[in-house]
Amino acid sequence: MNTYAVEAKNLTKRYGEKTAVDGLNLRVAEGELFALLGVNGAGKTTTIRMLSCLSKPDGGEALICGRSCQRESAAVKEIIGLSPQETAVAGNLTVRENLTFMAQVHGLRGRDADARVEEMLDLFRMEKTANARAKTLSGGWQRKLSIAMALISRPRVLFLDEPTLGLDVLARRELWRAIEALKGKITILLTTHYMEEAEHLADRIAVMVDGRLSALGTLAELEQATGQSGLENVFVAIAEGGAKDE
Amino acid sequence: MNRIRAFALRNWKETLRDPLSYIFCLGFPLVMLGIMTVVNQSIPANAGLTIFRIDRLSAGVAVFGHSFIMLFAALSVANDRAGAFLVRMYTTPMKPSEFICGYILPLWLMAMAQAAPIWAASLAIGAATGVSLPIGGLLLAWATLIPSALLFIGIGVLFGTLFSEKAAPGMCSILISLGSFLGAIWFDAESTGGVLLTVSKALPFFHCTKSARSAVALALSFEDYGRPLLMVIGWMALILALAVLAFRRRMRADLA
Repeated sequence: MNTYAVEAKNLTKRYGEKTAVDGLNLRVAEGELFALLGVNGAGKTTTIRMLSCLSKPDGGEALICGRSCQRESAAVKEIIGLSPQETAVAGNLTVRENLTFMAQVHGLRGRDADARVEEMLDLFRMEKTANARAKTLSGGWQRKLSIAMALISRPRVLFLDEPTLGLDVLARRELWRAIEALKGKITILLTTHYMEEAEHLADRIAVMVDGRLSALGTLAELEQATGQSGLENVFVAIAEGGAKDE
Repeated sequence: MNRIRAFALRNWKETLRDPLSYIFCLGFPLVMLGIMTVVNQSIPANAGLTIFRIDRLSAGVAVFGHSFIMLFAALSVANDRAGAFLVRMYTTPMKPSEFICGYILPLWLMAMAQAAPIWAASLAIGAATGVSLPIGGLLLAWATLIPSALLFIGIGVLFGTLFSEKAAPGMCSILISLGSFLGAIWFDAESTGGVLLTVSKALPFFHCTKSARSAVALALSFEDYGRPLLMVIGWMALILALAVLAFRRRMRADLA
């Protein structure tokens, strides 16, 4: 039996009358960079929350590397990293201190923690800002730090919820480079509003509409399914109801 | 233990790097110590009012200082909740008890450290005004302040858990005023008597001040020291239990 890095089985979440995620079925392979697209309120963030043990589903099951988010949340938390939509850094701590803090929370100590911090500073080219307090950094740098903090524990699955939201084009490109450097090394599930971001980074793309999975495939497969060219046209066609499922 | 230490260190640094913490937790109590000493100097000797004399004032101001530690406890929890920081932390292996200990421990150390400059200033004022403060009394008062500090921090964690980052400081401000008044820091509740004394005795703040004052004076009878200290310990246990319960419930609700 294949074990997927991320697997959603009929995943459902309701908030009162509203069904935020409705019977979602999804499989993401190890090492894949998977983009989840959708308009506001489509259920992307709710899906990420359920997959990262932040929210309990009302139906179905979420599995990370074969482990249940509901029944084995402690084990799942050891192998995931999350960079939330809002930048979640400790403002009065320096970049290095933020990274060290997260390393220690994940059980790394002494030289192991220091080595991992240096690795992250190098990967995200943050050596020059290592001793700057996080609150003094620009939005782009804070977002990079946030992702580096999520990666410090060497997670097998990384969730990036709108990682470039509100960033200028240069900061976005810089962050893309950092994300691209991770491709194939770990599994990444990314939500985004930016079509070019998904087009540029993702191996496969899923489109959610009203809490349901409306389309899933590579860009070429989605173009073929909708008869459109370019992800933006594909997305509009799917979001407006012209999609065919995979 | 490693996770508690890491989280406590983060909270320690976050609070110490906020300049407001020095103004409120250190500057303000010392200023009040100075102002009330000046007030004491203006009171005629035959009035028989000793509440602002440094041997009685110092313990009251130390308790007053704890109320600002409470404010920072509330701010720490409420601000973490308001941003995405706690969301991130919920995806780590940290347990609710580790969050609680990580919030309480650094603030408790700060509350204990806060007493040192207050005692030092009190000794200086005592020397200048001819009032002697027994060193043994100050050391005992330091130990006596341990449950008081935990009580105030517990209230702060409770407020930070129950209220938003905008409402929590407001609630703390009310309690700072009410606590210093009903804690008999700025007036002699026992001489006043009546309903005010009854209400004061029904709340923990009066007992915090009374046990610390008695410790400074080395007045260690059960009535002066033992009973109020037991009351503070009882209130501390109750408030800490409520804070832990509220934080666990909040975490469960956040993860529902």
